[in-house]
Amino acid sequence: MRMNKLRADVQALLFLLPFLVIYGLYTIWPMIKGVEMTFYKWTLIRKMKYIGWDNYTKMFHDQEVWAAIWHSTIFVLITTPTMIVLAIVLALIANRKSRLQKFYRSVFFLPSVLSVAVASYLGLFIFQPYMGFVNSLLHLIGLLPSGTELFWLTELNLSWVALSVITLWWTVGFNFILYLSAMQDIPDEIYEAARLDGASDRHVFWKITLPYLNPITKTITMLQIIASFKVFLQIYIITGGGPLDKTRPIIQLIYTTGFRKNDLGYAATMSYVVFVILLVLSAIQYWMNNRKGAQA
Amino acid sequence: MKKSFGLVLALLFSISLLLSACGGSKNESSSSPSASPSDSSAPASSAAASESAAPSGDSGQKVTLSFWTLFDGGDGANMQALIDEFNKTHPNIEVKNTKLVWGEYYTKLITAVGNGNGPDIGISHTSRLPDLIDQGVATEVDDAAQAAQVDWNSFNQNLLNATVVDGKHYAVPIDTHPFIMYYNKKLLTDAGVLGADGKPVIEPGADGFVKFLTTIHEKLPKITPFALSNTNDDPYRLWWALYHQLGANDVISQDGTKAQVDADKGAKAAQYIQDLYTKGLIKKNDPDFYKNFQSGTAAVMMTGVWATGTWESTKGLDFGAMPIPQIYDQPATWGDSHTIILPATKDNDPAKRQAAITFANWVADNGQIWAKAGHIPSKPSVLEKPEFKALPYRSDYVAVADTVKFMSHSTKSWQIRDLALFKYLNEVWANKMAPADAMGKISTEIDKVLKE
Repeated sequence: MRMNKLRADVQALLFLLPFLVIYGLYTIWPMIKGVEMTFYKWTLIRKMKYIGWDNYTKMFHDQEVWAAIWHSTIFVLITTPTMIVLAIVLALIANRKSRLQKFYRSVFFLPSVLSVAVASYLGLFIFQPYMGFVNSLLHLIGLLPSGTELFWLTELNLSWVALSVITLWWTVGFNFILYLSAMQDIPDEIYEAARLDGASDRHVFWKITLPYLNPITKTITMLQIIASFKVFLQIYIITGGGPLDKTRPIIQLIYTTGFRKNDLGYAATMSYVVFVILLVLSAIQYWMNNRKGAQA
Repeated sequence: MKKSFGLVLALLFSISLLLSACGGSKNESSSSPSASPSDSSAPASSAAASESAAPSGDSGQKVTLSFWTLFDGGDGANMQALIDEFNKTHPNIEVKNTKLVWGEYYTKLITAVGNGNGPDIGISHTSRLPDLIDQGVATEVDDAAQAAQVDWNSFNQNLLNATVVDGKHYAVPIDTHPFIMYYNKKLLTDAGVLGADGKPVIEPGADGFVKFLTTIHEKLPKITPFALSNTNDDPYRLWWALYHQLGANDVISQDGTKAQVDADKGAKAAQYIQDLYTKGLIKKNDPDFYKNFQSGTAAVMMTGVWATGTWESTKGLDFGAMPIPQIYDQPATWGDSHTIILPATKDNDPAKRQAAITFANWVADNGQIWAKAGHIPSKPSVLEKPEFKALPYRSDYVAVADTVKFMSHSTKSWQIRDLALFKYLNEVWANKMAPADAMGKISTEIDKVLKE
């Protein structure tokens, strides 16, 4: 019996070996190397100079870093709740028995197959002044007086709206699919029983559907926070981090520091601080989930 | 339990993706020596064997050179034409072109040279050269130039001087691409501001140009008088030009250690441009000012000479090109140059370097091909060639080459441009910051960049 288990373990290890080697070489090793970088003045051409904790002390006094982390946080705060509500609403629509069911499913999911560049350039076209879709529409229905323009891409508050709308439209499909499949896992008998007891649609949603979706909501929340915190390319393309770097997220600052300012050591330091932030966030959430699970 | 383990894995995986993106691309250089296809250590290569029947060169051995470029569109096609022509006329040298994407070019070049996998020939903007020299990417070329008998006197000295550091040559300039003005002849005729000679009638000085644009604005209210972007490069280039027309000094000190912005002149130039925006002479937040001019809905526009090739191939666009108007005391404009550099390689093989510099000099000598995109050739002798003279428009602005004000010889000139100048000037154009305040912030920011 024990021998068999050992054999199975060895077999499993053999099958895993190619993956482990590649994962170790291209993920674990660079991560270790990355920690080393944080203690050096390290440029693209690898002129290295050991500077101890300088990158860390510099970072804690660097206003730009904290501003950028705050911008990423703003983005998380805007997009995560709206993303979850939107995904549930879309899933509810697509889950209803209707002839358009298949149509809804494909339409809601379709944007998420686009690349970030395509989605961002669509965003640029939609939100640009004078001939962009949004302003033209607002002119058409009379919400925006003719002769005036909303500068979605250069006014700070409007840029956040534009960036969030594009991101939601582009990425909601993935969460939508997760919710849809979770909804389909809810047994029909429960709904039937509720209906027999005379529960209204609203009751059914709040008392049955939503609680059943709870586990997947937790998963989506965590993945979404991490994904939103890592936002970079759509902002880089749409606003470039402007106006005055006020939408510049931390990843863009890391990119600029590493590849524009040629300071890979400092960029690596910021990366690891982001890493720690995400780790702490996940740990908190993990702990909260477990605690609630224990109570139930 | 199982699910949470999956979550942790997912978390680890996503974070490792994030981290590896920042770790730089690390090639194990020993495994793939792709950058040296047939170097001197392999004398019996097939190419050399077939060449040996024609002992025209001194050794008869064929040298193959890898060349990294960042050109696309018309520039890319013209460079390829130059390379093909060179390979045809030089049986002992073969240049192989690798086109890289603009946005990634410098990062890749620096990393590759650092790994010992860089090309034999590269391109650098003059403004980027000090940085590449400082990092040991661009090498001094005097030895190779002497061997290849390059005559430095045959170049435009204004362009050449921008490539010389501490009395040593580091690059062969092949062009300059200054900031100039284009105008739509039909629209200017409609507005009554085109002279009989086909050139715009602009009264001299700061008020003259505003009056010129205002006339267009009044006569043709639906037309954009002056098409310009609202952020980054092109308005900055106009500011740079006006700043130097006022006779201002460079934005950093001669020794490159601190900011030296001429605040009064800088603010004056910025105020002038800001007024053009607020008076509606430049369209606010123009989504695409190139298209605006190209589709005949803008009377004038300013950008680099590289647009000439594009306008030429636009059907129905009757345009003219000229230096930007002289608003202030002396003529000056923004400009940069493409230069050919010899990146440091593993062996720095003198034979290859000589061949590479021969190629670079040949490209400069044949600037009439390169000029098709709109650039101004770096050798005055090319300007006299009939092929060059046959190209329209270029002769209208070749004189600008002498008045180009290059950016400072600083390893951080691009950072200063992107992180200090663009950033605050953009706010001025958006009418959110007073020009004088912007100059103060620019100074502080430049000092910060230089100190880092």
